[in-house]
Amino acid sequence: MKNKTSNRRLIFQIAAVVVLIAIAYAMTIVGRGHTVYLDNKKLEYDGKTYDTPYKVVVLVDGEQVAKLYDRERGSATCIGQKFTVTLEITEKKGGNETTQTYTIPLPKNMDGIIINLPAYLAGLGEDAYLTEFIPSPDAEIVEEDTPSGDDFGMDDMTMDEVPVG
Amino acid sequence: MKKLNKKLPRSGAEWLRALHNFLSNNVVPIMFVLICAYCIPRADLSWSYLLNEGMTRLGRNAFLILSLLIPVMAGMGMNFGMTLGAMAGEIGLIFAADWQVWGIPGLILAAIISIPISIVLGIMIGKLLNLAKGREMITSYMISFAMDGVYQFVVLFMMGPIIPIIHDSLKLPRGYGIRNTVSLLNMRQSLDNLLAVSVGGVKIPVLTLIIIAAACLFILWFRRTKLGQDMRAVGQDMEVARDAGINVERTRVISMVISTVFAGFGMIIYLQNVGNFPTYTAHTQIGMFSIAALLVGGASVEKASIKNVFLGVILFHTMFIVAPRTGTVITGDSMIGEYFRVFVSYAVITIALVMYEAKKRKAKSAAGLQLAADQLAEEEAKAK
Repeated sequence: MKNKTSNRRLIFQIAAVVVLIAIAYAMTIVGRGHTVYLDNKKLEYDGKTYDTPYKVVVLVDGEQVAKLYDRERGSATCIGQKFTVTLEITEKKGGNETTQTYTIPLPKNMDGIIINLPAYLAGLGEDAYLTEFIPSPDAEIVEEDTPSGDDFGMDDMTMDEVPVG
Repeated sequence: MKKLNKKLPRSGAEWLRALHNFLSNNVVPIMFVLICAYCIPRADLSWSYLLNEGMTRLGRNAFLILSLLIPVMAGMGMNFGMTLGAMAGEIGLIFAADWQVWGIPGLILAAIISIPISIVLGIMIGKLLNLAKGREMITSYMISFAMDGVYQFVVLFMMGPIIPIIHDSLKLPRGYGIRNTVSLLNMRQSLDNLLAVSVGGVKIPVLTLIIIAAACLFILWFRRTKLGQDMRAVGQDMEVARDAGINVERTRVISMVISTVFAGFGMIIYLQNVGNFPTYTAHTQIGMFSIAALLVGGASVEKASIKNVFLGVILFHTMFIVAPRTGTVITGDSMIGEYFRVFVSYAVITIALVMYEAKKRKAKSAAGLQLAADQLAEEEAKAK
């Protein structure tokens, strides 16, 4: 009887662990954050030139995040693997404005993603409109003080005296 | 009505005794009500500001303070070891930030990561406290200092070379160890803002309050379970509980595990509200302030309830909000108020501990006198 109870308890414990791992994994997918950079820049691709519209207003969740003219970049943050954006596009100065909502799939493994708007609007493939944003390495490395104080008078010691690696 | 009449004191002396009992049992909350009543008009802060700040602090701190209730129920006093749970919560948040999981999913992920760490730490502290029965508070206080060193070792030296950290923005410039401040900008107030409503200019973080209410319901339900009853029995008298067939040591360890896991969740709720955290110091004072708030709410080392949690948060944090401004108004220096509130936090814990010890001795001496009188009466009866 006792064996049966402990077996049942073990099954519940394993099930709880499995459920928690599954939820954690699901969270890493649904909560994966990206910074999306939207470029309104002319693109040369396969020998063809894709020109920029005169003006693109970018709206995310109904809020304007950027107003892009030629060779300008805007950015927005996005949680999940799909980026829904509304673009108000004015092709020529003084021309009509067209509004369209797009849902752009984003790769999970990239933190920062650059989307070239002319290429995307022209219907080119992901390899043409999407590139990874790689931040430039810090120009100047600033050493941060690691904690050494402990309320026991070690605050007065210099970092040379405290081995911090 | 009959029951009420029975409870009401009848004579003047009974009224006086009842008043004396009420005052002596609630001296700390009464003191704080008086401090707040003195400080609030002098601080000259608008009511909407006060209510807004109060609501923010209620949402931020209540869960952490709730984590202290279960060890009190098991007779282990104030769990200074809740710091360990706070460390687990911070480690969860470091990973969520590194894996770029934002918003509420990031908080859920951090909470799930903190669970196994909190369980292991809770078992460890529970077993150690079983070796130091009767001295749980000072032992848990010292354990929290010892584990702070372990935490620093893990975060400062192991994160990077042994525990993989992907983003350089989190690492110290030397290439390993976590920076002094971890930004939670992409998780900041994601819990507080979801379902938030504004009533008369006061932002009410509904989801956070729902989670706190769920924790309260859990504690109420837990008290009624077999394990909860066992804990109360252990809290009242360990030897009697053992004689009744309760596994005292196991029960105490479970209470510490629950408290540590709750403290981890509480720390995540706290830090998401703040929006960043000092990696090496965020947890150090959290136990002290949570315990002070609970004691301000009228709890004692051996008795604490949900009502003490909420009264404590309101009174303690009202004092926190108004003290610096009152200090500025009265002395022209806001630092006086800062010193005052730090002084009061520690003083409250001291007063509560002294009162608890005094009451215990008084009860013990009264029991001794009663025993002596009983023995005398028995001897006299035998002699007759």
